Amino acid sequence: MSAPTPPTVSLSAPIFAKLTPHPFLLRTLRPSEPGAKPLRTNGRTPAETRPLRANPSSLSHAHGSALVRAGDTTVVCGVRGELLPVDRIPQFRPLPPRSATAAAATGDDGPQTIPDAAAAAGGAAIGRGELKDYDLLVPNIELATGSAPQFLPGVPPTTLAQTLSTRVCSLLHSTRMVDVEDLRVWYKPGGAGGGDSSGDGDVTMTTEGAHDAEGQEEEPERVVAYWVLYIDLLFVSFDGNPFDAAWAAVVAALRDTQLPAARWDPDREILVCSPADKRRLNIRGLPVACSAAVFLEKELSESGADAAEGRHWLLMDPDRSEETLCREVVTVVVDCSDGETRIKSIEKHGGTVIGRELMRGFVGVAEKRWREVKEVLKA
Amino acid sequence: MTDRRRINGPPGETIPPFFDDADRAPETAKGRFRPSNAIRKMFLKTGVTPSASGSAYLEISTSAKPGASGLKLSCSVHGPRSLPRSAPFSPHLVLTTHVKYAPFATRQRRGYLRDSSERDLSVHLETALRGAIIADRWPKSGVDIIVSILEGDQERETSRSQGDEVWEMMNALSGCITVAAAALADAGIDCVDTVAGGVAALVQDTDGDESQPSIVLDPVPSEHAKILAACCVAYLPTRDEVTNLWFRGDVPASDMELYNSLVEKGIQASRNANRVLVGCLTESVGEGDTS
Repeated sequence: MSAPTPPTVSLSAPIFAKLTPHPFLLRTLRPSEPGAKPLRTNGRTPAETRPLRANPSSLSHAHGSALVRAGDTTVVCGVRGELLPVDRIPQFRPLPPRSATAAAATGDDGPQTIPDAAAAAGGAAIGRGELKDYDLLVPNIELATGSAPQFLPGVPPTTLAQTLSTRVCSLLHSTRMVDVEDLRVWYKPGGAGGGDSSGDGDVTMTTEGAHDAEGQEEEPERVVAYWVLYIDLLFVSFDGNPFDAAWAAVVAALRDTQLPAARWDPDREILVCSPADKRRLNIRGLPVACSAAVFLEKELSESGADAAEGRHWLLMDPDRSEETLCREVVTVVVDCSDGETRIKSIEKHGGTVIGRELMRGFVGVAEKRWREVKEVLKA
Repeated sequence: MTDRRRINGPPGETIPPFFDDADRAPETAKGRFRPSNAIRKMFLKTGVTPSASGSAYLEISTSAKPGASGLKLSCSVHGPRSLPRSAPFSPHLVLTTHVKYAPFATRQRRGYLRDSSERDLSVHLETALRGAIIADRWPKSGVDIIVSILEGDQERETSRSQGDEVWEMMNALSGCITVAAAALADAGIDCVDTVAGGVAALVQDTDGDESQPSIVLDPVPSEHAKILAACCVAYLPTRDEVTNLWFRGDVPASDMELYNSLVEKGIQASRNANRVLVGCLTESVGEGDTS
């Protein structure tokens, strides 16, 4: 009499992945066969990112737009400019005329200054950060489009959506991507007089230094309005790593943005845009965000104070199922467009695994990612 | 009251760019490039949101620029799922529809809170789909249907577009119905038939009174001098049933013939859209078999 064999239940891999996601991912990362490569459940190696695809100018009503896909995460970004007259700004401080600031900016900088510093000095010479003070950049991220089952409309924005919007906003300000000069609308009284009413004769925000040579005007030129850039991001599909995709979409859309030339019409006292004359924004640099999640050998529930013990894996570009298994997430924003790598921002939260050494290595990974994204966005 | 959970921008109100139209030639109606009984080209694809139970994407080409697309809709279906504990017992599937314009979808920037026209579209969409779903197969459960209008069906020029919004809403509704039906089928929710939307309109092509109004399918407001009346129909072709009818405009009440023929043309437009819908669904089923 042979002992009754225990009933064997064979379950397919997707069912295991659903029932016990942590051991399943651990098992694929630590394969039992000696020669096998460690893989994630989605078939990528731990350091492999999803290919990014970008499709700029996909919308016709926005001034600039981009659709960015990374795997199953799809974001649409639309940038739309609207005008803010200075009399609607509560605490507006008038700027000195443009020629003076230009001289100040070029005067006190040496020839070897990088563009960043020159612009910063230009801003410092007048002593104000207009972009931030007047709220000229308005990014908002909408997740509640049915992009994933946990984001349903009809409720206020989730914590994740609010966090993402704030992160994008602060990064936009800290990277100084947008030049505030592009957003100013200048007006020189008297300069547009006479019968010359064509677009070139008027002082617009686009004519650079054409009128400052004479210096015999009785009234200096002044800023009459600012463009406010509404940057709206809509997630069509959400599969993890929302910040990288959203940031790439913001960068791609801003690089695509063309604002019409605006001028002040003193007779009608309105701001008039000309449909033909469009100008691209000067976007400084190409910051690229790169995120990774730390997957611990021990499950989140059982990991107590000694969470740093045991093995861990750095999973690049985590998808939705991996994000639920990892607590520690690191995001590095790098910009290598000056030839050398500049770290624009480092964010890390949720754990203690990543130390100084790992972070240094991760910046190298981010550089690689930067080159990939550059290829995609330049195309 | 401001929305404190979003980034609201400057406290002073911003104004959208105003274009000087004086130096531009006054635009006239562009005229229709396709026969009066043909609808515009459509692109429909299912499965754009893998994490949803079902999803679909619809693009309708615009007539103004060849290759450019007018209406872009993305729809995702979540469910059927169990109702929350607090919800009262329901013997049927509880259908929830959301239609939302993206902030960059139209000429004027839209806010993030739904306005009345979006709520109106949601109600119409719910009525249209309710007639198609076999709701008593899922008691005590609910399904959410979310349509995001990524790009509205509007011309970019603002010169002659006053009062066109309601006709554009009809076009948007017919697109919403078609894309939602595709997403429902993708989610595998039992329906009696595939429902599709169609629009027909009574238009006048020149401004003078001498021209006789004619009925066209799938009207584009910029192509015609004036739209007198329009009707949006949600239609089930194999059962020959209309699940939703939205009629709007100025037709003499005595002329029942005109009213009937307008609905008839709307049904014809819906049949055309249905052909695209069925083609897309069979294609996606065929892909599933081979892979």
